[in-house]
Amino acid sequence: MKQTLTIARRELASLFFSPIAYVVIGLFALGSSLIFLNTFAPNMPATLRGTFSGLIWLMIFLIPAISMRLVSEEYRNGTIETLMTTPISDTQVIIGKWLGAMGFLMALFVPLIFLAGVLEMNGSPDWGPIISGFVGLLLVGGLYLAIGTFASALTENQIIAFLITVFVICLLTITLYFLPQAEWVWPNLRKALHYMNVNAQFETFNKGLLVMGNCLYFCSGIALFLFVAVKTLESRRWR
Amino acid sequence: MIDVQELAKWYGPTLAVDQLTFQIESGQIIGFLGPNGAGKSTTLRILTGFLPMTSGRASVAGYDLTTQSQQARSKIGYLPESTPLYGEMRVEEYLHYRGKLQGMDRRSRSDRISMVCDRCGLEQLRRRLIGQLSRGNRQRIGIAQALLHNPPVLILDEPTAGLDPTQITHVRELIAELRGQHTIVLSTHILAEVEKSADRVMIIARGKVVAEGSPDELRRQVAAGSSILIVEAKATQEAAQKVITEIHGVQSTTSKTDDGWTQIRVTADGNIDVREPIGAAMLQNGWAIREMRHEIATLEQFFIEVTAQQDQAVA
Repeated sequence: MKQTLTIARRELASLFFSPIAYVVIGLFALGSSLIFLNTFAPNMPATLRGTFSGLIWLMIFLIPAISMRLVSEEYRNGTIETLMTTPISDTQVIIGKWLGAMGFLMALFVPLIFLAGVLEMNGSPDWGPIISGFVGLLLVGGLYLAIGTFASALTENQIIAFLITVFVICLLTITLYFLPQAEWVWPNLRKALHYMNVNAQFETFNKGLLVMGNCLYFCSGIALFLFVAVKTLESRRWR
Repeated sequence: MIDVQELAKWYGPTLAVDQLTFQIESGQIIGFLGPNGAGKSTTLRILTGFLPMTSGRASVAGYDLTTQSQQARSKIGYLPESTPLYGEMRVEEYLHYRGKLQGMDRRSRSDRISMVCDRCGLEQLRRRLIGQLSRGNRQRIGIAQALLHNPPVLILDEPTAGLDPTQITHVRELIAELRGQHTIVLSTHILAEVEKSADRVMIIARGKVVAEGSPDELRRQVAAGSSILIVEAKATQEAAQKVITEIHGVQSTTSKTDDGWTQIRVTADGNIDVREPIGAAMLQNGWAIREMRHEIATLEQFFIEVTAQQDQAVA
């Protein structure tokens, strides 16, 4: 556990050292403010619901930019060799890296607190949906980061890691958004596909509901991709 | 301390390490010697638990590398070939990070970091960013990092590659200082390195040990059979060569002439000292001698010889 946190802390520090981090923070702050301004007007409900819905589309491109370097960079620098020859397990490496990126995600979400503050100053927002939406956003981010960690463990090329992550996320969002609407898909399958859609899962949080099933969806998704990432890292030893 | 049995490693269809078997006693310094691509790094990577073997068995400090990899790894300090480091970290910060990964507590970390910084000459650089440091200093950090948790086994893959002569001397001195406290395995393709510091040398070519022994033993192996003598005299080439070839014990000669002086390279039976008869023959003919010396067999020759033999055997 201690070693996992050691890796997480180093990862977080090195994320803040890279220029990409600041670009991502800047774009996220800008994007969230612009979306917020669209929904922020007199006589409108004081919620962040519209902002959150917009943000999870923005995250499709911003989160992979954070995760793409997690393992790839170790491969490219050769530091993977010093890392894997210490008495720590592959699982500790992967979870540590994911946790470090989660730490960065928290920093990324700081502007949202300001937006909530603006609402508080100008109206009387319902804090329930804002907090549950925030939790939902963290879970979506966690899932995307887990996918990114897996993609990053696949290759030493960060661009490829980025593209694989975006691709998988698009499968889980855009593809699973359009497929359930297609006439030719069997109705029961349509329901199942709609259930697997990340945006649909997130909507429940955005409405202000904390449902066990939705939390389970994200947690199992995160666990699945982190597990595959560990196996990918392990498989590099056997190639 | 290190026990390797019939170790083999295939990279797809390429055989990198071929049925390697050797033991290394505690406290010894072993030099792995071989041309580039001989399988040195692969063997060391297997010993550090970074790569799995295809077949065979290996254990470090009594822990099997396949089944008890984690315990075995905790007994090893490793400096990889290109000294990979995190450029964005400060020296001290990096060493703390490594110490934490090794499971050291804060107190022992601080003590050991001061110690290894002192040993490796990093005192002045503790607050510097690794990315800004020179090749030599990075190498020191690599060695410091390997020593940090005071491991019984130190594995150094080409510790002096890319360093300037002064830095090479420093690294050599450091390794000499560590003698007796750690079992050290170092690989190199530079002979002088192991000639001075290693207790035992293993020459590897094409994944196999082609020769093994102390540097002295290897040198004797080269010297056995025949000895080489260089004679330089004021005589014509044909005359000098004719006279020398007639002497008992001389096997062959080659010569060259320069400015009236002829240099003759005499290969003689190793058991017969031909220096006296050659000197006598020179005097008899009234030729002045400018030089007469034994050519000492170096490990270098031996190295070239055995690796070439291995190549021929394959071809």
